Amino acid sequence: MSVVRDRPARLVGRTLVRHDAVEKVAGRTRYAADFGLPGMLHAALKRADLPHARLLRVDTSAAQAVPGVASVLTAKDVPENTVWVDVPGQTFQVGALKARANVLADGVVRYHGEPIAIVAAETEDAAVAAVELIDVDYEELPVVDDSEAALEDGAPCVHEEGNLLASWQLHEGDVDAALADAHAVVEQSYETQFVDHAYLEPEAGVAWLDSGDVITVRAATQVIEHFRDLARILRVPDNRVRVIAPYVGGGFGGKEDMTVEPFLALVVQHTRRPVSMVWSRSESLLAREKRHPMKLRYRTACDADGRLVAQDVVILADGGAYALLSALVLLYATTCSQGPYACPNVRVNARVAYTNHTPASAMRGFGAMQVALAYEGQMDLLAAELGLDPLELRRRNFVERGDTLAVGQTLDTHIALPELADRVEAALGPKPEPSTPERRVGRGVACNFQPYGRCVWLNDWASAWVGFELDGTLVVRIGVPDIGGGQASSLVQLAGEVLGVDPADVVIHIGDSALTPLTGTTTATRQLYMSGNAVVQAALELREQLRPLAADLLESEPDDVEFAEGGVRSGGRDVAFRELIGAAAKREVPWHRLSIFRAPGGDAWRSESSWRGRVFPDFTYGCHSVDLEVDPETGHVDVLRYVAAHDVGRAINPLSVEGQIEGAVVMGLGYALSERVVYEDAINLTGTFAQYLIPTAVEAPEIEPIIVESGEGLGPFSARGIGEPPIGAVAPAVAAAIADALGRRLTVLPFTPERVAEV
Amino acid sequence: MIPRPFDYERPGSVEEAVSLLAAASGREAKLIAGGQSLVPMLSLGLARPDLLVDISRLELDGIQAVDGRIRVGATTCHRTLELDPGVRSLLPLAAEAAWHVGNPRVRNRGTFGGSLAHADPAAELPVVALAHGGEVVARGVDGERRIALGEFFLGYLETALAPDEVLVAAELERLPEGSGVGFHEEAQRADDFALACAAAVVKPDGGARVVVGGVGDRPLRFDGAPDELAAVVEAEVDPEEEAFVSAAFRRRLAVVCARRALARARQDAAA
Amino acid sequence: MTLELVVNGRRFREPVEPHVTLLRFLRERAGAIDVKYGCGEGVCGACTVLMDGVAVNACSVLAVQAEGTTIETVAALGENGSLHPLQQELVERGAVQCGFCTPGVVLGSLEAVRLGLAGDRPTLRRSLAGHLCRCTGYGKIVDAVEAYRDREGATS
Repeated sequence: MSVVRDRPARLVGRTLVRHDAVEKVAGRTRYAADFGLPGMLHAALKRADLPHARLLRVDTSAAQAVPGVASVLTAKDVPENTVWVDVPGQTFQVGALKARANVLADGVVRYHGEPIAIVAAETEDAAVAAVELIDVDYEELPVVDDSEAALEDGAPCVHEEGNLLASWQLHEGDVDAALADAHAVVEQSYETQFVDHAYLEPEAGVAWLDSGDVITVRAATQVIEHFRDLARILRVPDNRVRVIAPYVGGGFGGKEDMTVEPFLALVVQHTRRPVSMVWSRSESLLAREKRHPMKLRYRTACDADGRLVAQDVVILADGGAYALLSALVLLYATTCSQGPYACPNVRVNARVAYTNHTPASAMRGFGAMQVALAYEGQMDLLAAELGLDPLELRRRNFVERGDTLAVGQTLDTHIALPELADRVEAALGPKPEPSTPERRVGRGVACNFQPYGRCVWLNDWASAWVGFELDGTLVVRIGVPDIGGGQASSLVQLAGEVLGVDPADVVIHIGDSALTPLTGTTTATRQLYMSGNAVVQAALELREQLRPLAADLLESEPDDVEFAEGGVRSGGRDVAFRELIGAAAKREVPWHRLSIFRAPGGDAWRSESSWRGRVFPDFTYGCHSVDLEVDPETGHVDVLRYVAAHDVGRAINPLSVEGQIEGAVVMGLGYALSERVVYEDAINLTGTFAQYLIPTAVEAPEIEPIIVESGEGLGPFSARGIGEPPIGAVAPAVAAAIADALGRRLTVLPFTPERVAEV
Repeated sequence: MIPRPFDYERPGSVEEAVSLLAAASGREAKLIAGGQSLVPMLSLGLARPDLLVDISRLELDGIQAVDGRIRVGATTCHRTLELDPGVRSLLPLAAEAAWHVGNPRVRNRGTFGGSLAHADPAAELPVVALAHGGEVVARGVDGERRIALGEFFLGYLETALAPDEVLVAAELERLPEGSGVGFHEEAQRADDFALACAAAVVKPDGGARVVVGGVGDRPLRFDGAPDELAAVVEAEVDPEEEAFVSAAFRRRLAVVCARRALARARQDAAA
Repeated sequence: MTLELVVNGRRFREPVEPHVTLLRFLRERAGAIDVKYGCGEGVCGACTVLMDGVAVNACSVLAVQAEGTTIETVAALGENGSLHPLQQELVERGAVQCGFCTPGVVLGSLEAVRLGLAGDRPTLRRSLAGHLCRCTGYGKIVDAVEAYRDREGATS
């Protein structure tokens, strides 16, 4: 993507106040639940009380008789009761996978909390009362609540086709020979847990029947393209469904698959009335999809100089009851399992199993972050084995530009890991002293990498519309959902940069599948890369479209025209945009532009054999360090200080970049120390924020983000994505620090006080 | 997500409240003051009373010295206990413990009496009350009744209050002049329910008392020599095995809390 | 029962059922959508409002218990469309991402500063413990409240 060549950036690289921040701080933003229509119904779900059972009878008669109930729907009322997700398949063992889930349970429930019926009523009270009166006769079925047990012979089947959901197999070089010859081999198992997104805004939405019989859903979502999935479920044409994404109160992948949308759309189809649905926090914690837990077994070997010679990796993930995005998550884990370290011999045996746990799907880090606990742990073990400083061992192994990961992925952009490690080391002073004689202070470092942009064979694209109004103000129309990471405001900044318009004169309309050009999902750390490039491209094309006219008005050469400060200028003369566009209108020069940015694609996936080749466009690299204090008696961990360095290519808005790093670090600390979903026989016991422990301002340390700008990234102005990357390095850094403090390495997440105290 | 419907009365006096409770026979009636435990339970569907009797405005707040005891009114807010300088000097143990109760918004509404009557075994103020000793003052159809604190907490969310009784105050024994007090809590996060907590008193005559919470179905009180109490706690507490926290770990934390509370109490006594 | 109260300067006199929380009343009957439902347990702080000047979790108060009180939400801050200084600091220091926790954080922080419970960063963080944020990592929120506290100290 060509960058603006003609002058130093005026807006890019500056910390601009986000337009949405002003509205949010004043409480004026209308999130999904802050919207209503006259005559609106309230919908609620009847959810399964058991994790695996046949539904012998679902009796909704008492529910329907509750005064105020307008509609009670079950599986038979859903025109197409299947949500299909096309996912790249795996090896010959499993074959191509069409991930399949029900909208409403049909004859069987497979996880605790699976939706069985929808009630829509005049009031929330009536809906809740009616849900309680839905009578379900269950026949309990054997429960599978462990991924290893799920894959043993004779295990109860969650789905007819068996419990192996997906598998990725990889063998580059000769791992066994390398292990046999190695100077040092370390072997360890690691285990990660189910966690919840725990966004502050619960799942919510409102839907209604609009003109043209267009079923319109305004919901907290990361993906407005779900209008197609809804159309399929409802068996209506695609153009009769519209999805609007208001500003979302946090997503983190949890609002990537559909949440309330299909239920709302069904009620609208049946009743032709507007309807609202807001999930309770309990529902969200109990039944919303989670992050994949992974059991990781690694053997890692190096030569006498500490250079890696072999990585032998076994990954077993728990996909829960439905596939959703599990196969893709596993692919990310497989690709990144060797870490950002060169290694000639790599074998990965990765599988994900169905169980009767809550379905696992997308969550910030998406598989590539879970494996970091293992690959970093292995580096620490090798370093100890060789008597080397942990960062020194890593330096000897960092991938470099031109290297290829075992999966076949070449790394062709700058890899800043050495500089990141330098910057982190420089930031660290001496390790702090313990606050009491009984406590121990530990320091840990970790490096990681995380892809940004979608898998290349998906041939990703994003479109944007940029146009002036007659008065010279600017409008951007783009389908991007803004989930809090400044997705919209960064586009204002970019459009303003290219066209020379003050951000205060730019209005952006986002997130409407009917009215804004589609730009794809706000996931996979792809939005800055994709929609950012789309907006820059549209703005550049618009600028070039207007340049001849501008030159004419300024009586100068086109190449001498500068778009800046609210107008065009050349040789001491300037013309405000209002005048320029007025002239454009008269002379029929278009003053808007729609543009499609296409990411460089890749080879189509082939189903017959183990897939090899480029998977991702690029990666963002990081290096973190944490100082923490442990109370060995109580297992309490105080995080004293956290340093996080990332190469972001170019920081479009540095304050936003810092915010993403800091937020991801704290989410990672929760993952490392306190967050877990606890099940008993696949019944989810974790239904409140009092039980699901996300970090508060007290647990969060002072964080020092270090932003490195290598100037090489595929995004606008050479930016790289930063939404997900920082989360991966946190748990390994904490593991290393606790090991430093206690002399004992913990390998099962989260490192709760009980596990740290080792009672 | 939302409370199920119930009837609601806001009586103008304690007597009226008592009558309402007594007349409720057959229906489940609950008192509500600050509501910081009850209203969330209503929203979660964990409590489904037929009738709520609101005593939050009955002017049952306030702290006074009364006959060698300190009388704490039932509707005294945790926030008052936490922040009021007068309270800090009269009831230093309560002031320190109150800081651990929930978060500031919860403390702004939650009440001392509510905490005692709710009797969550992990709650801080019952532990403090038991450390002081004294009596709960209740009013029922038969008039005023005093219940020794040692006999007040009967089990998980269970007290000696009769269904028609309103807890109007607790009269806490003044600690002997020269006593030292200490409180210690272990919770995973700052404002969480305690995994274990302990209040300790070290008396000038050399005796000590420690009360631990969170490790049984009610707070447990132990008296003895300061050096021996931690071992007594370890031997006596018998927490239940739970999915989130093991019994062994809770026992460990109870012992640590007791020991640290006692250490603070010793320091406080020396000062 | 009939409930009388004032919300952001507007007087309400409405029949309301006892089981309706103050949160639900404010959102559905008083149009105060800036008061958010985050957990319903009193843990997350997204529903914080000022009731007679005292910060409370609206989800943990029954509407009927607010009889005769004056409720202020974040919408009551600022004059003539301009932001309150604390709001300005939050915005300028990048402390607002998804914004869902923000209204609660504003009101809770104002009380902490007013009561002198924001004197240093650890104490400030402790006062913020009942305001959960999943986006920012809290650092910039603490920066903003500190800056506001210093501004207040300078002008008072």
